[in-house]
Amino acid sequence: MPDIDTGRFDAPRQKTPASLLDEARRELSEEILRGDGGRRALARYSERLDGLIAQLVAAAPETAVPVALIGIGGYGRRQLCLHSDIDLLILFGGPIGDAEERVLRAVLHPLWDLGLVVGQQVREIGEFASLEVDNPEFLMALVDARLVAGNPALFARVQDAIHDPLTHAHLLTALEKLIDERHAQFNATLYQLEPDVKDAPGALRDLTATRWIAALSDPSLLKRGIGDPTRLADAEDFLLRVRSVLHYETRRHHNVLNHALQERAAEILGYPGVLPQQRVERLMSDYFRHARVVMRSLESARRLAPVPVGQNLGRINSTVRFIDLKQAAIQPATWLAAFQAALDASGTVADSALACIRQHADQFKVEDFFPTPAHRAALLHFLKPQAGLYARLSEMHDCGLLGRMLPPFQAITCRVVRDFYHKYTVDEHTLLTIRNLERLSTRASADRHRFANLLEDLASPELLVLALIFHDVGKWRDTEHATESVRMAREMFDRLGLDADARDVVEFLIDNHLLMSQVAFRRDTEDPEVVRQFAEVVGVEERLKMLCLMTLADIEAVSLETLTPWKEELLWRLYVDTYNHLTLGYGDELIGPTQAGTSDLLASRPVDLTKEEITTFLEGLPRRYLQLFDREAIYRHVQLSRNIHPDEVHLWLEQKGPAWELTVVTLDKPFLFSNISGVLSSFGMDILRGHAMTSPHGLVLDVFQFTDEERFLALNPDARERMFQVLDDVVSGRSTVSERLRGRAESLFHRQSPRFMPVVHCDNDSSRRYTIFDIIADDALGLLYRISRVISRHGCDVDLVLIATEGQKAIDVFHITKAGHKLTEPEQRELLAHLQQMLEGGYEID
Amino acid sequence: MKLIKSIVRPNKVDEVKDALEKLQISGMTVTEVRGHGKQKGHTAIYRGKEYNVSLLPKMKIEVVVPDAIADDAIKAIIQAARTGEIGDGRVFVLPVETTYRIRTGERDL
Repeated sequence: MPDIDTGRFDAPRQKTPASLLDEARRELSEEILRGDGGRRALARYSERLDGLIAQLVAAAPETAVPVALIGIGGYGRRQLCLHSDIDLLILFGGPIGDAEERVLRAVLHPLWDLGLVVGQQVREIGEFASLEVDNPEFLMALVDARLVAGNPALFARVQDAIHDPLTHAHLLTALEKLIDERHAQFNATLYQLEPDVKDAPGALRDLTATRWIAALSDPSLLKRGIGDPTRLADAEDFLLRVRSVLHYETRRHHNVLNHALQERAAEILGYPGVLPQQRVERLMSDYFRHARVVMRSLESARRLAPVPVGQNLGRINSTVRFIDLKQAAIQPATWLAAFQAALDASGTVADSALACIRQHADQFKVEDFFPTPAHRAALLHFLKPQAGLYARLSEMHDCGLLGRMLPPFQAITCRVVRDFYHKYTVDEHTLLTIRNLERLSTRASADRHRFANLLEDLASPELLVLALIFHDVGKWRDTEHATESVRMAREMFDRLGLDADARDVVEFLIDNHLLMSQVAFRRDTEDPEVVRQFAEVVGVEERLKMLCLMTLADIEAVSLETLTPWKEELLWRLYVDTYNHLTLGYGDELIGPTQAGTSDLLASRPVDLTKEEITTFLEGLPRRYLQLFDREAIYRHVQLSRNIHPDEVHLWLEQKGPAWELTVVTLDKPFLFSNISGVLSSFGMDILRGHAMTSPHGLVLDVFQFTDEERFLALNPDARERMFQVLDDVVSGRSTVSERLRGRAESLFHRQSPRFMPVVHCDNDSSRRYTIFDIIADDALGLLYRISRVISRHGCDVDLVLIATEGQKAIDVFHITKAGHKLTEPEQRELLAHLQQMLEGGYEID
Repeated sequence: MKLIKSIVRPNKVDEVKDALEKLQISGMTVTEVRGHGKQKGHTAIYRGKEYNVSLLPKMKIEVVVPDAIADDAIKAIIQAARTGEIGDGRVFVLPVETTYRIRTGERDL
């Protein structure tokens, strides 16, 4: 048995467990009869039991898996009464096998043989990963956990799991319910003539509950609630002394102070009086006096306890405050969490917390606020547009935190730039842009819904907010500010360790934040060349949407009058024209043999790739490809395309945030796209966005981002291999996707009528090479499979696909051909009708 | 005196202003407006759905000029605002009986 910690106990080894127990009981009984079976005596009895258990553990066989014996509940509090159950958590650091069972027997059997009632919980440490699903009474008992014997590291892990703000909040909620339910059994009054000294209102459980509430929310409550914490300690000692008498007299776990026992208790506890009645009256008078103290303390704790919302953070009503201001003053990494908690609760940060931050913010630098990747991720999470973000950012700015966390922002504090348009200082203008975005997400007026939909569609709206925060920081000096803003932001992003993809987006937005208004209001947007040039700069729809929203928010923050419906309309029209250009026209713009802008890509290539390999791979793909993927992804695609043969698939799967991304490289063949998307659906994957591209040599590159709705990838260690094998089998023709989907037939093919009417639009004009089908439908599992299957059954080739999801809507754009040509009018009509029919539920696809 | 009201493409405002300033016409009123001419707008498609863009954003430029230079002003406006495509806009010319300066109350001749 490793790491047995028995050093604390001087248990005489030569004594048997029975003699140890007898001795402990005899000692406690004597104390009880002296009227002194209170806190001190019970602590001593508990420790004697510790010694007994430690002795049993020391004698138990050794195991490779560490074990800890942890006292919980009353035993954990060292308040074990003469006939109390011994609440014991026997915790193993790994799976419980035969060897561990032997340890259990070696410890539990002797205890049972001694006639002790053991309330044992046998657990593996892994079970503590999700505490919230556990029995609330067990979780409450863990609050008083203490190590009796065994591995201290294992015990520390339990402590860490319990003492987490979210667990504390969960426990407090559970505790409130338990208290109410228990009080209801006693008609919610403490004035019971025959009280249960354990469970009645004002009795021991309430006393423990009061201490738990303080421990879980704010330890200072005990001092603030009733004024004198010694009164609570006195009440506890009294109640325990009474309970000890009850156990002693009844020789069992009996806690009701009934009339008969009141006389005996009054006598043992030494109450004066000639007649038993007089002694009893004095005992009960004491009882009610103490029970009242307990009850008032509990009520006060319940009333004043903040809800734990983070490390050293509590919320009362909707105000978030630091529990311990001294701790907060030296823990700047916890400050952002206060504002996040206020956002989450639609509340505010307490003045005391703001004052603390104001007083100490100057002592810290950026790295102190964001010491770990988790803290940096928390900043991005905080910046997601939602109600209250502007107010919280303004508070952070007012107390000096924003400028310390993000120093470039400090440079524009109260900065005045005089021009004809701006009506606010640069810092306030910046924060107002975020308020405008926030309003778009929370209460967009009817004419703004079109923009609100764009915001809803963004995969990372926090990057837009980050870009807004920095877009005008370059105005600290009077020269061209966008470039300076980008320079300052870059330095900041280095310190924040922002990942490359996010940096590209944010820097692009800052650098181009004036571009869209210049084009929309100053250029002839009816000229397709103007739109084409703008689309070329923007590159992909996600950036277009962000830039459009940034422009809207920026103009609106200049003054109340600046953003007119007229400007909104011009902005929207430029957005729509550019969006259509990006999604409908991109198939005609292909990468040539000497494509501009690829020199860096070729120069930085990994050693195992040749220039020829890269240029051959790129040639003939839409130019958009170069804007969609970063270098690393492109190199990977080239590597995946090596040595590919008909019927083979080369695959790459990686996790990207909450979603997964699957890259498939293969050679084109009929039904390919529907087969691949069908396989993903057969594993329960919900495809969110993606791209499918085909090069003129028939090389197919499909990239799908999806969520693993059924947690197949998370729960199965061999999930990746299984998914790859199925893709391989289906693409090679060894099995069919329809077989795999049979089990899901109900959900895929016999869906209920859609929530809104699907839209299918055929466009034969936007592209020289392709007929384009724009499909907007209810997002549903297997939708892409169903659509592409209909297209393939019409003998059409799926050449390019754009997949997007906006809220509940799937927005898919298919570029298709038939025998290498655009579809004829009858072919378009027939396919359109079948697609529409299928989406409305009336067309069987298999 | 003539009041010349021009409805032009938004991106043509700067060019029209420059052309008028060359004729020493510096006072003008510029308003963002929306409207349509004979074509009554056009149909646009966004995400597969057609929608009618009936009121197009335009700019209205108003100047009051002496009769003597009215024709030159009109020519300058047309030249500056023309692209040759549908949607270039209109110029309306109205007689002006009299004008007053609000600050001084004096009648402007």
